[in-house]
Amino acid sequence: MAEVALSAVGKIYAGSVPAVKDITFAVPDGGFCVLVGPSGCGKSTLLRMIAGLETITMGEVSIGNRVVNRVEPMDRDIAMVFQNYALYPHMSVYDNMAYGLRNRKTPEPEIAARVAEAARILELEPYLKRRPRELSGGQRQRVAMGRAIVRKPQVFLFDEPLSNLDAKLRGAMRVEIKKLQRQLGVTAIYVTHDQLEAMTLADMLVVMNQGVVEQIGDPLTLYERPATTFVAQFIGAPPMNMIELSPGAAPPPGLDGVQSLPVPPAGALLGIRPEHLAVSADGEPPITDRPGDVDLDLTIDAVEAVGAETYLHGRLGGVGQSFTAREHGKMLLPPGTTRRFIARREHLHLFDAATGRRIEARS
Amino acid sequence: MEKRSYFAGRLLPYALLAPQLLVTIIFFYVPAVQAVYQSFLLQDAFGISTQFVWFENYQLLFADHAYYQAMSVTAVFSILVTALALSIALLLAVQADKNLKGAGVYKTLLIWPYAVAPVVAGVLWLFMFQPSLGTLARGLHELDVDWNPYLNSGDALTLVVLAAAWKQISYNFLFFLAGLQAIPKSLIEAAAIDGAQPMRRFWTIIFPLLSPTAFYLLTVNIVYVFFDTFGIIHAVTNGGPAGATTTLVYKVFNDGRAGGDLGGSAAQSVILMAIVIGLTAFQFRFIERKVNY
Repeated sequence: MAEVALSAVGKIYAGSVPAVKDITFAVPDGGFCVLVGPSGCGKSTLLRMIAGLETITMGEVSIGNRVVNRVEPMDRDIAMVFQNYALYPHMSVYDNMAYGLRNRKTPEPEIAARVAEAARILELEPYLKRRPRELSGGQRQRVAMGRAIVRKPQVFLFDEPLSNLDAKLRGAMRVEIKKLQRQLGVTAIYVTHDQLEAMTLADMLVVMNQGVVEQIGDPLTLYERPATTFVAQFIGAPPMNMIELSPGAAPPPGLDGVQSLPVPPAGALLGIRPEHLAVSADGEPPITDRPGDVDLDLTIDAVEAVGAETYLHGRLGGVGQSFTAREHGKMLLPPGTTRRFIARREHLHLFDAATGRRIEARS
Repeated sequence: MEKRSYFAGRLLPYALLAPQLLVTIIFFYVPAVQAVYQSFLLQDAFGISTQFVWFENYQLLFADHAYYQAMSVTAVFSILVTALALSIALLLAVQADKNLKGAGVYKTLLIWPYAVAPVVAGVLWLFMFQPSLGTLARGLHELDVDWNPYLNSGDALTLVVLAAAWKQISYNFLFFLAGLQAIPKSLIEAAAIDGAQPMRRFWTIIFPLLSPTAFYLLTVNIVYVFFDTFGIIHAVTNGGPAGATTTLVYKVFNDGRAGGDLGGSAAQSVILMAIVIGLTAFQFRFIERKVNY
C-alpha cells in the first residue's frame, strides 16, 4: 500500500504543445482517485506516466515515497487494467492471471493459491481453463481485474476499464470495482470520461481540461462548489444552466432577483443546476419567494418524463435562453405553458465571465 | 455475423470461378497428369520411338545412387534456407517494428531483393564470391579461408544457400512486419507491467501471436526452396561440384533437358510433387494444431 504523489508533472511530446502541464496532487494510501475530463484532456497520458509507459518530461512522480521517474513499469509495483483489457489471447484465464507471478518467479503452489483466491472473489472459477475469446465482455473485464489483484500491487491503475461494456454491466462492474478496492485497501487511480462513474467511484476527484487540473476535491464538494465554469458544466447531468449577466444592464426578460448579485465589471455567469429550479405542481401551494432567491419565467417547449423524474426544457420569457429543470415525479406540463421557477439563493453559482472562476458569496 | 452475398442464378458463381479454375487446370492439373503419363514412357534420345514401360523409370531411379544424393542435398538445402530466411526476416522485422528513424527507407530497401529475378540474384552472389574475381572471396582469402565454390562442395552449398535465403527474406520480412504491427500495443504494455523482460516478452507474447504468420511462411518457404531455387542453382553452380548442389528440382531439369531422359525426369517430378504435397499436408495436420487461434 502506498501514497502516490505527483509534483509539477508535465509532458511535452517532441515538437508539439504540452499534453499535460504542471500537475500536482497526492492520492493518500488506500484512496480512490478518479481522473476525469473530456477526451484529449491528458488524463490517460498522466495515468500512463504514473504507470511508466510514457516518459515524464517534467516534475516528479513518487509511489510510496520513492521517486519513480526512471523506474521501469515492472518495478513500480503497480497493476494496470486497460480499456481493451489487453488479455493475452493465446493463454487460458488461469495463465493470464499467473503470467505476472511467473515472471516474478513466484513458486507454483503460491501462484495456484493466489489465482484460486482471485477467481473466487471475481466468480471466475468455472472459466479458468477458457481462452479470453470464449468469454463475454464482462468476464474478460473480470479477468483483467484478476490479473491485477493476484500480484498484490501497491497501486491499481485503471484506464477507462468499463467503456467497452453495455450500460447495465457498467453499473454492476462499477460497484464491484469499488467494493474490491475497499476490501483490498489498495490505492487506486482511475481514468474515465464518464462523470457518473467519476462521481460514484472517487474519494478524490481530479477534473482535467486541456492538460491542466481544473479542480481537485471530493465529488460532492466539486458538485456543490465547482471552482470553474468547466467543472460546473462537466459534473452533473443534465449540465448546469448558465446565463450571462452584465453589470448595470437590465436582466433579460423573465429573470428576476439578480440585482443583488455581486457581478464584477467584466460580467458574470450565473449557474443554476436543473434540480434547483423548483416549480409548483398543480394543487400544491406556490413556493414562497425569499429575499435573494432568483425567479425565472420559463415557457415549456419540451418535456422528458423518465418515470421517477421529469426534465422540463423551457425558454426564458418565452423567447430567451433555454433552461432545463429537473422535477420529482411526473410533471407533464403541456408545451407552451409558462410557469414561474424559483432557485434558492444558496443554490446559485456565480462565475467571473472573464476568468471562468467561481465568485464566492460575500455574505 | 459473417456477411454473405447470395446470387440468384446458378451459372454466375461458376462463371466467376471459371478464370481461376481455368488457369489452375491448364497450368497445373494438365501438366501434372502429363508428367504422370510421361513417367511411364521410355523414349530414345531423338524422340523417334516411344515405349510404355510401366514403373521401369521409377525402378531405375531408386537404384540410382545420384538420386539419393540429390535427396539428401535437398534436405540440407531446404532446412538451411528455410531456417535462415525465416529467422533473419523475423529479426529484421522486430527491429523495423521499433520506432526507428528512417524506418520507411529501411523497409523499402529490405523489400527490393524480392523483385530481383532468381538468376540475377544468383549471378550477383556469384560475382561477390567468385574465387578469383569476387570482392568478398578475396576478403576470405586474405583471412586465410580456402574459399572455392567451384571445387569445394561445402563452399558451393553455402553460396547457394545464402543466395536463396537472401531472396526469400524480403517476402518473409513483409509478412512478419505486418504480423507484428497487428499485435495490440497494450498487450506488450500489459506484459511489461506484468514484469516480463523484453526477451521473455518476445517469446511468451509476441512469438505465439505471430505463429499463424510463421506457419504460413513455413509452408510458402518450403515450396519456394523445393521449386523456385532452380534459377539460383543454375546460375551459380550448375548443380556442381560433383552434384553437391543438385537438388531434386535441379536434377529434374538436368536429366530431362540436358540428359534427354524425359521419362526418368517425369518420374522424378512426380516424386517431387508427392514429397511437397506430403510435406504441406503434414504441416497442416500437425504444426497448425499448435498454432494459436
